[in-house]
Amino acid sequence: MKLRVQLQCKNLHEYLKELNPEILDRLYNHPATCLAVYRELPSLAKNYVMRMLFLDQPLPQAAVALWVKKESQKDHDECVSVLTGLRLWHTQQLQGGLQGNILNPIFKDNLRIALLGGGKAWSDEGSSLGPDRHARDVDSLDRYAMERWEVILHFMVGSPNAAVSQDLAHLLTQAGLMRSDPGEAPCITSAGFQFLLLDTASQLWYFTLQYLNTAQSRGMDLVEILSFLFQLSFSTLGRDYSVEGMSESLLTFLQHLREFGLVFQRKRKSRRYYPTRLAITLAAGITTKAASSSNPMDVAPGTVDTSFIVVETNYRIYAYTNSELQIALVALFSEMLYRFPNVVVGQVTRESVQQAIANGITAQQIIHFLRTRAHPVMLKQTPVVPSTITDQIRLWELERDRLQFTEGVLYNQFLSQADFEVLRDRAQGLGCLVWQNVAHRVMVVTPHGHSEVKRFWKRQKSNT
Amino acid sequence: MVNVLKGVLVECDPAMKQFLLYLDETSALGKKFIIQDLDDTHVFILAEVVQILQERVGELMDQNSFPITQK
Repeated sequence: MKLRVQLQCKNLHEYLKELNPEILDRLYNHPATCLAVYRELPSLAKNYVMRMLFLDQPLPQAAVALWVKKESQKDHDECVSVLTGLRLWHTQQLQGGLQGNILNPIFKDNLRIALLGGGKAWSDEGSSLGPDRHARDVDSLDRYAMERWEVILHFMVGSPNAAVSQDLAHLLTQAGLMRSDPGEAPCITSAGFQFLLLDTASQLWYFTLQYLNTAQSRGMDLVEILSFLFQLSFSTLGRDYSVEGMSESLLTFLQHLREFGLVFQRKRKSRRYYPTRLAITLAAGITTKAASSSNPMDVAPGTVDTSFIVVETNYRIYAYTNSELQIALVALFSEMLYRFPNVVVGQVTRESVQQAIANGITAQQIIHFLRTRAHPVMLKQTPVVPSTITDQIRLWELERDRLQFTEGVLYNQFLSQADFEVLRDRAQGLGCLVWQNVAHRVMVVTPHGHSEVKRFWKRQKSNT
Repeated sequence: MVNVLKGVLVECDPAMKQFLLYLDETSALGKKFIIQDLDDTHVFILAEVVQILQERVGELMDQNSFPITQK
């Protein structure tokens, strides 16, 4: 009975696997999607796809299994499940009755196009429009993207001068990141707090997933906008593309992307747009998080410096920043003491951390936040954040978990040991046994399994 | 005859269990809530008191903590 909600952030594959098969097959109709899916595969699975890409007949499963050594059977099974889950290959009966695998023909054809060229041009480059008089360079695009994205974050922490469109505010509420009571300004939820502590790439990916989940309800074609997103991720930074030939719903989507800072369009009616770095790194999603130090948004010039926090062993936090947003984030889990033009001083206290935890932020997230935004001076020492601080934050969190609650149904007063053991073994077999004490003949099963166990017990009694 | 009771299984350390027993004996929550005392680290309680119980534990922890830092 955990009272906290953990923010679930799926990666690209997890998301695609949950789509229904028909949509997935339609998605593979575009080379960009195929390439994006392909590059996120584990390397063994990539190898399999490459081996089978130019085969037009199914391969016996036994032959596929021989590609790996016995010791790596686990990796093999994993790849098979990934490829099957994403419908990248199908099983097919061979003539001799053996089971064989063949690549999804749509995926195969489009991946070939993606790798070898040919087919239609992916997106209309702006060359037909002639040179842009208001051309943007990479730096200003980066700045623009970051500005737009920060407006959204500012809106979430409730900065007074951040205004977003109705659509976006509605989307944030739908995503569960904000809560709006009628007649009141929307306020942030615990999921929203967790969202703010993520790095930009994960935030963007999470947000996009939420957008996609609601896309169909606003009358958009999921396949169309997903394909467009993947196309965007293969476009070139600093180039302009034309809106020529885009459908009505895609144009609406483009306006939304414009608001999130994924594309730059000078005016609503402009005939060209520039994808920004946010859009291009999007499809890589959170899989690149492991290498977040190479995250382009972190080092992009002109953006907010992300290494500014010094934590001392006396629980003080010095944050060398003048970004309202970063200050608001630090204030989520600390008590603010002083504010200067370029630095704020805060103190981590038991109350402040407990408050944050009550809001749904975990100790792990706080520590991650401090670590990833540590000042270069801090980075020189190991561990980066003093262990007294990290330990204490964890202890403060554990303090709240002194009691562990599990809903259940208690069985007691068994007449004989045999009765108890029969019922216990049955519950264990069903996987619903929570706790047992043989000596006292007491056991607890989950409410879920209770009806099944009860039925079994009634049958058992009538049999004897 | 087997007896069946619905409720919530609580797992905790022995010290916390004593605190729960104390709350139960003194009827601090307005009534008895422990259905069965299972062993040193487990008790079975009424489901409706879970929320208020957590608050009480929080209060206990607040009483037991002292500010370790100076301003």
